[in-house]
Amino acid sequence: MSLVSKLEEVLVCLKAGRVTLPYPAQAQPLPENFRGRPIFDATKCIGCAGCANNCPAREILVFDVCQEVRILQYLGRRCTYCGRCADVCPEKAITMSQEFENGTDAIGDLGQRLELFMSTCQRCGRCFKGPSVLEDLKMKGYRSDDLQNERWIYRSRSFLEEDKTVDDIQIELD
Amino acid sequence: MIAREMFEEFKARFGPLIDRADLPSDRRLYVFVDRSAVKYVCQHIFRELDARYVITIGADDRPFSGKFLVAHNFAFDKDHLLCSVLTQLPADDPKIDSITEMVPAASWAEREMRDLVGIEPVGHRYLKRLVLPDGWPENNHPLRKDVPWNAVPVEFDPDREFSFDEPPEGCTVVPFGPFHPTLDEPAHFRLYVEGEMVRGCEYRGFMVHRGIEKLAESVMSYNDIPMLAERICGICGCVHNVAYVQAVEEAAALKPPPRAEYIRTIMLELERLHSHLLWTGLACHILGFDTLFMQSFRIREPIMWIAEKISGNRKTYALCVIGGVRWNITPEVKTELRQTLDKLETEWRAVVSAVSKDRNIQKRTWGVGVADKDLVKEAGLIGPVARAAGVDIDCRRDHPYAAYDRVEFDVITEQGGDVWSRLLVRMKEVFESIRIIRQCLDKMEVGPLQLQISDELPIGRMGLSSVEAPRGESHHFVITGENNRPRRWRVRAPTYQNLQAVPRMIKDQQIADMTISLGSIDPCFSCTDRLETIDLRSGVTRVWSQEELLKLTRAKKV
Ligand code: SF4
Ligand code: SF4
Repeated sequence: MSLVSKLEEVLVCLKAGRVTLPYPAQAQPLPENFRGRPIFDATKCIGCAGCANNCPAREILVFDVCQEVRILQYLGRRCTYCGRCADVCPEKAITMSQEFENGTDAIGDLGQRLELFMSTCQRCGRCFKGPSVLEDLKMKGYRSDDLQNERWIYRSRSFLEEDKTVDDIQIELD
Repeated sequence: MIAREMFEEFKARFGPLIDRADLPSDRRLYVFVDRSAVKYVCQHIFRELDARYVITIGADDRPFSGKFLVAHNFAFDKDHLLCSVLTQLPADDPKIDSITEMVPAASWAEREMRDLVGIEPVGHRYLKRLVLPDGWPENNHPLRKDVPWNAVPVEFDPDREFSFDEPPEGCTVVPFGPFHPTLDEPAHFRLYVEGEMVRGCEYRGFMVHRGIEKLAESVMSYNDIPMLAERICGICGCVHNVAYVQAVEEAAALKPPPRAEYIRTIMLELERLHSHLLWTGLACHILGFDTLFMQSFRIREPIMWIAEKISGNRKTYALCVIGGVRWNITPEVKTELRQTLDKLETEWRAVVSAVSKDRNIQKRTWGVGVADKDLVKEAGLIGPVARAAGVDIDCRRDHPYAAYDRVEFDVITEQGGDVWSRLLVRMKEVFESIRIIRQCLDKMEVGPLQLQISDELPIGRMGLSSVEAPRGESHHFVITGENNRPRRWRVRAPTYQNLQAVPRMIKDQQIADMTISLGSIDPCFSCTDRLETIDLRSGVTRVWSQEELLKLTRAKKV
């Protein structure tokens, strides 16, 4: 009885043969809609901050240097490649690329920084309209996330009267 | 019995002790009862009406109603009804009668409620800390609304060691974990051993809390949380993603479009397929049979690829948002999925036929780690562990969600209650999953993937959702709230209940059987440990101090 089952097991193995790929020399091809590292296109981005507001990992920071210049910084640290930023972006400025071999020993390597010239009104926030009310901009007007410490900060009085300041995860803080 | 009949029956029996009730549908019942009656109502439900215990939830409702809230959730599987017994406690006296004596399965949930919300279960016999580390100050309860999500109390002593119980007379203590080759995640069992036989054990887990519930309740928003929920578990992530979304949808009375429901069903079944194959592989690995471990993983791989093709990632599908799904199943993928399933079916059939006669595996698993019907009831066991003991429960059939009410499948049961039966149940369930996916592909109608949501979600509504994960029922409870996020979100992963029964499953067994007994519930510690604050690894002799480790991991430039 048991011998038969052993033989069957041998058969399963023999039939399969060798399937392991000699990675990294040869990799399993990626499907078209693979969600790799998000790539930001500065020429398309209008700086609406929709992505920053809807990133579950709070990976995208916004800092308004002045009325005209806005900095958009993608940290690339705990980004989960979920693709929500690309979903909500009204200008399709974010592509989920095919990059996944992103191991690095310098944590800043994966970040991207966009300096944007702002022509739309920052106060009304009308350049961003979320797919539903659940994504609409919670914070309108100027934004000044903590670029130094790479933290996401709500500092708007137009929303969230009670908790005006909600810190982001302090994991990058020393 | 539908919700209304059940409610009439409660009213007839408990009359004035029932304050009010909410019956949003025939399959849901929320009864608010007087504090003094909770114990009796729960006893009645659990013993006389023979319901299954699901979970106890404590919530700090003071900012909204000025009170604390406790909910005991039960499932009437045959009646397709989920019932929540709620009670409000005054802010200055958060105490409630413990139900653990009548409902042993509630033990952990009550201890957790005491740790995290500070609601005292009066009469609980074993009020040891469960979730918080021993060095955490007594009066700090992280899930209370007045505690900031990122606050670590100054009195917290991270170096305080766990206090363990005394082993019984004549027994030696053998530590199993926190790090053990067969455990992929940290958990600590102190086995009390007499010779080769295990006589009892103490469990200390919750070493990897990640503050998920608190984070969701205080900084994230409705549509952020599905991506967080998915990361509760590394294997059945999609289950949590769907369960959370369904709970919110139920609370807000939203109905996702039918195509979205079919896609959810397909992805959940794909997840079950890969999880069951993974488990079979790991079980063989634990038994020292690595050939089959390799083969299971080989057969599993195409499932991962097809999932990647659909969702863009082999494991974290990031599938749902409130009111729908994000990925479509195109006609090309449909054809490919069918081919994958055909191949899987043939290959798996060969493996099952070999394994089900394999003497070596039988000898290692027959009569090992037995959980009988009695234990299933008392400890509230679920999933393949319950079904292997002949208890015919399955949320997909009993509390249908997504498109499960539109497909046909069998609920697999076995009678042995041992590891062998669990192996059989899981191996056979693979074929049922294949059957379900095929039906979904046939029946799936064209249509939108997401619901148009034009109004903000209502506030203060409750929603329940039970989803059959590969390892048992995942239960999510949500109270909707202000600022575009839930007020309370409670996750009960299947391992939370199943793990509580491990001490009884391994009692009076050889110590060598410990690993497979534990493995057979398909434990998922990261699910169980979800929740609140960072628990710290105390009680382990370490070369690195915790602070050094943290410094190392947080350093900007390594
Ligand atoms: S992919 Fe997800 S986690 Fe990464 S930046 Fe975009 S929204 Fe944030
Ligand atoms: S959502 Fe798009 S357009 Fe708006 S800030 Fe982000 S990348 Fe730029």
